[in-house]
Amino acid sequence: MTPRKEIVSSSVLILFSLTFLIYTTRYPLDDWESPGPAVFPLLAGGVLLLLAAWQLIRAFLAPKTSDRAVQKGSLVTSLQAFFHENQGEAKVFALTALLIAYILLMQWIGFFVSTFLLTILSSRLMEAKGWIKPIVLSAGIGLFCYSLFEVWLKLSFPRGILF
Amino acid sequence: MSQGVFSYLLITLQPDNVIACFAGAMIGTLIGVLPGLGPAAAMALVIPLTLKLGPTAGLIMLAGIYYGSMYGGSTTSILVNVPGEPASVVTTLDGYTMAKKGRAGAALAVAAIGSFVAGTVSVIALQFFAPLLARTALAFGPAEYFALTVLGVVLLSNMTGSSKTRSLIMMMAGLILSTVGMDPIGGLERFSFGIETAQGGISFIAITTGLFGIAEVFEVMAAREKPLEILPVKFRELYPNREEIRRSAAPIARGSVLGFLIGLLPGPAATMASFASYGMEKSISKHPEEFGSGAIEGVAGPEAANNAACGGAMIPLLSLGLPFTPATAVLLGGMLLHGVTPGPFLLRDRPDVFWGVIGSFYLGNAMLLILNLPLVGIFAKLVRVPSRYLMPAILVLCTIGTYGDNTALFDVWVMLVAGVIGYVMRKYGYQPAPLVVGLVLGPVMERSFRQTLIISGGRVESLWESSLCMAMWGVALLAIFLPLVIPKIRAWMQGHPQNDA
Repeated sequence: MTPRKEIVSSSVLILFSLTFLIYTTRYPLDDWESPGPAVFPLLAGGVLLLLAAWQLIRAFLAPKTSDRAVQKGSLVTSLQAFFHENQGEAKVFALTALLIAYILLMQWIGFFVSTFLLTILSSRLMEAKGWIKPIVLSAGIGLFCYSLFEVWLKLSFPRGILF
Repeated sequence: MSQGVFSYLLITLQPDNVIACFAGAMIGTLIGVLPGLGPAAAMALVIPLTLKLGPTAGLIMLAGIYYGSMYGGSTTSILVNVPGEPASVVTTLDGYTMAKKGRAGAALAVAAIGSFVAGTVSVIALQFFAPLLARTALAFGPAEYFALTVLGVVLLSNMTGSSKTRSLIMMMAGLILSTVGMDPIGGLERFSFGIETAQGGISFIAITTGLFGIAEVFEVMAAREKPLEILPVKFRELYPNREEIRRSAAPIARGSVLGFLIGLLPGPAATMASFASYGMEKSISKHPEEFGSGAIEGVAGPEAANNAACGGAMIPLLSLGLPFTPATAVLLGGMLLHGVTPGPFLLRDRPDVFWGVIGSFYLGNAMLLILNLPLVGIFAKLVRVPSRYLMPAILVLCTIGTYGDNTALFDVWVMLVAGVIGYVMRKYGYQPAPLVVGLVLGPVMERSFRQTLIISGGRVESLWESSLCMAMWGVALLAIFLPLVIPKIRAWMQGHPQNDA
């Protein structure tokens, strides 16, 4: 891991542990004879804070190396390189948005219909060509899950306006 | 073996349990073959399904997935140079080279036989050591349990990932997550922010499927799919020749013992065992130069070791109720959902479950050996299933598994958040395994810590007073300081002072 990444991740962890420790003070500490519910979270949060701080200090003290080779060239070339490097991340972002929509839609149009749509769209997002195969796949998965989990295992899933 | 134990072992042969064992072994093999879900996430997904089967059959199925995945992982390592799970990474070094030389069948057969022998050796050892440890553990009080969990945390941080600090950070994050919900002593609600589902604690299944399943889907999505070349293997080529059998026998025996012992330690036991076995075989071989270019010992030893480690890892789980690997942590979660509490009293209270699960290891290993050899070609072809069809299916299974646990939509949100965080964590070099173990060890650690102080009237020294505690704290301190001191001593002895990295 590069020092830059180490600094970023350590800083996030320090922020998280500080927030957690501050929030933990809402709960009683009591005393050593009968330690309260805040004691263990405070210990765990404190150790996390120390570890993250230690990691941050080490990252700052690490010998300075350029995180990535300095790219010479125009701004357009640099931007093109950036987008090329992060193509995968864009897809991850799109899938996350799709999953958020899926969970929100689940209560409205029902679990199985939203799952059918999720499977088609996620398959297309993963570069499946055409619509026939993703639709067949989605129908197959939906039918399998319905038979196994709802019919056989008697698990109940959210129902919506469609199914 | 007493008559009673034998009759309990026969429980495994009841039709329900045989079917569960077969299904678990098959699912495990598939999981091992397919890159994506690991055994921990697969077991988490199957837990709701096992609830229908009852505790013995359900847990037999979960255990089957665990050791079945070790068998499956070797197939793709040898034929495609793609390890299905981390414990089979080392098998690619010599297994794939053997396959390229036309000895794929021999490599697969030796891997399967080695796995079978090691699996059986570890079950025999498990059968004798688990009850012994369970009896010893009856003498454990809260202070000993606390010392043991601290020791587990320290050892695990030494053995996972590339950085001890990052492993410890993940472990602390797991411990923090474990504090969500009811306080285990006083019952006060903590960190639930008024969300009803969170009052019972963060769903273990949601976290596991998110960190391992959803994060894996994200990772596969971000990477570009490469076409795989699968080396052909014919059934008649499956027989290793006499020389190959002779050269494999000792590495299998050594791998079995080494793997079992490593399985007892906290950490990704199967992966560590396979690498340790490979290193050992190479160092004692008369032909170390052959390693990496198709040495059968490089397949036999590690494959035996990773299967033996599965048996070894069951000992702390069954006898102490402490899981030290993500897969056994999920198994513990499954046990609790089935109303079975692992630990020293498991053997006394539920001998049917205890011996039924142990017996299933014998049966499952035999099934896997019989199935894996003829079906190896089919399993290898499964790797060709494109991720654009496989990953959506994994997404759906993750959602169903998570939702089915508590029938709560909140858990699905937790799964998604855990998936996103898991993906970012991996990008930044943090491994999810210590977090999952921390999440499971957290309640045991907190309860034992507070109970020790309450019983002793607030005397902090009661945490390390007993001889057992002192021994465990001593090992933990050694594990912390030795890695810091040894490089300095080594550098001093060589006369080349070096900075601690």
